[in-house]
Amino acid sequence: MAGIRLERLGKVFGATRAVDGIDLTIPDGEFVVLVGPSGCGKTTTLNMIAGLEVPTSGDIWIGDDRVTDWEPGDRSLGMVFQSLALFPHMTVFDNIAFPLRVKRVAPAEIERRVRAVGDTVHVGHLLAKRPATLSGGEAQRVALARTLVVEPSVFLMDEPLSSLDAKLRVEMRTEIKRLHGTLRSTFVYVTHDQAEAMTMADRIVVMHQGRIQQVGRPLEVYGNPANRFVAGFFGVPAMNFVEGELHAESGGARFVAQALGLSLPGQRLGSGPAVLGVRPEHVRLVSAGESWPAAVSLIEPLGDATLVFLDYGGPSSLVAKVDAEEKLAVGDRRSFTFRRDRIVLFDAATGGRLST
Amino acid sequence: MRQRGFPLFPLVRHTLLLAWAAVTLFPIYWMVMTSFKQAAEWVTWPPRWFPHEPTLVNYVKVLTPGTSTFELGRQTLKILKPIGDSLIVSGIGSLIAVLLGSALAYSWARFGTGGRSYPYNILSIRMVPPIVIAVPFVVYFVTLRLLDTYTGLILVYLATSLPYVIWMMLAFVEEVPVELERAARVMGASRWKVLRSVVLPLTASGLVVTFLFVFILNWSELLLAMTLTNTEVSTIPIQLNKFQSANEGRDYGPQAAIGTIATLPVVVLGFLIQKHLLRGFSFGLLRK
Repeated sequence: MAGIRLERLGKVFGATRAVDGIDLTIPDGEFVVLVGPSGCGKTTTLNMIAGLEVPTSGDIWIGDDRVTDWEPGDRSLGMVFQSLALFPHMTVFDNIAFPLRVKRVAPAEIERRVRAVGDTVHVGHLLAKRPATLSGGEAQRVALARTLVVEPSVFLMDEPLSSLDAKLRVEMRTEIKRLHGTLRSTFVYVTHDQAEAMTMADRIVVMHQGRIQQVGRPLEVYGNPANRFVAGFFGVPAMNFVEGELHAESGGARFVAQALGLSLPGQRLGSGPAVLGVRPEHVRLVSAGESWPAAVSLIEPLGDATLVFLDYGGPSSLVAKVDAEEKLAVGDRRSFTFRRDRIVLFDAATGGRLST
Repeated sequence: MRQRGFPLFPLVRHTLLLAWAAVTLFPIYWMVMTSFKQAAEWVTWPPRWFPHEPTLVNYVKVLTPGTSTFELGRQTLKILKPIGDSLIVSGIGSLIAVLLGSALAYSWARFGTGGRSYPYNILSIRMVPPIVIAVPFVVYFVTLRLLDTYTGLILVYLATSLPYVIWMMLAFVEEVPVELERAARVMGASRWKVLRSVVLPLTASGLVVTFLFVFILNWSELLLAMTLTNTEVSTIPIQLNKFQSANEGRDYGPQAAIGTIATLPVVVLGFLIQKHLLRGFSFGLLRK
């Protein structure tokens, strides 16, 4: 069992700063998901933890050891790769036995442990097969078994589910989370899929352009984004952004945009260009109170809810997520408002969070 | 649609291809047939398409142990020594080339050794016509006392084979996903263990194909061998070449037997590696 600590960790490839001096502490037993768009540095960070990339600067600690310049094999890690990396010239048994053979475990012990772990992840009946003959889900399980068999204290996973179809992906997601519940080892999981991050993580680390944007529990990151990038990254459909101006008022502030204006009492925000963010589920169709008129331009029923695109006179439509029972038709004129306690404001220039 | 009409185009195409095949294969056919003929049938008119009394006497003659050195302008038709020399020179040269070249290909593919354009620089060795390097080689070899030695010819074949080995092995190495090696290293395997348990088994067929390919090239190489050897070392192509102006210029039967023996391994190996060659080369082309 071991926690992980990254100190000012950086990696430069030629002229590119892939990872730009990040600090992160992962307590023992936590399931951490590194998430971000491709090229954000999440895989490079994972590879540095694994020892497959040498950091340009900074240090990596696993447990009480400074492992920055250790060989990958000495770090007592298990890693599952995007391509799964099953050895095509070996049977499933030999694949799972490989890490044990490297460690010169006795043959009888290898036999016992491979069969035991094979039963745990339900690949016991596949041991004689070659990887090429396995289905996507089976190969996934074999890759897991090969990682589990040495009982590592840290699991690293690099988008392990990306090759699976949507249904299987959701199943394996649950299964990996359950596995973490049983093992209580430290898991570091890399993905670009925000749904995987939200559903699996104890804590999410959002990365962008080599830097950590926010670290927090899934609902924290979703509901209380640190900046515009994080706000836009999570949520389907994405958060609505309205560009406008903030004006300081006596006893609060006022946000003014094209065809839209709302007062924010009790908030000291200063003045200047700003961006208002509101999630579709926090846009309400109302008939009274402070609201703005709009025309319904498009309707997308999801089954459990309906997405409504509202043309209110601004540069782009607002998306509202409303109850599926709501009676609506394209062309309807409706009034809408926002849930005030869920509005977030960002600095227009830096994208940093303004309100609380 | 087109199937309904008379298949004129395929017919013409096949006819032309068959005709061309006949033109190219005829000398080989004639050589093989002559090698089984008695002396009387070598030059009869009208020609005999098949030996009427097939015989192995030509083969016995050339394969009987003896020397193959010049005897006052006479050459003997013994070829055991040339076969041995060819095996030694092509075999060792090709083997060292494959060992060095595959290591180079691996280190370039994985670590970028030598820089981005390294394989192209190496390939430029093959852009130079052999005759250009043959004469400078003679000068160096005289100084280094390598003229007419096994070592000398092996070195030359090693140098000329390396570009082929590097390029072929690049294609095979690049087929091995890096993640396989990384996975093995995370599991605790040393670099050597990774090479032995992952890279080698997955590139083994490539190594064999590459070896056979350069072996065939070296086996049939004439120009450099002729320039850099004299009497001590004599490969099969040199031996074949000697027949043209020698007194035995009319010993067609034994000559045909030697020709057949020299061609046989090339043809057999060529058929064996044909499928792999196509695969290896096309991957190399697609990736670059």
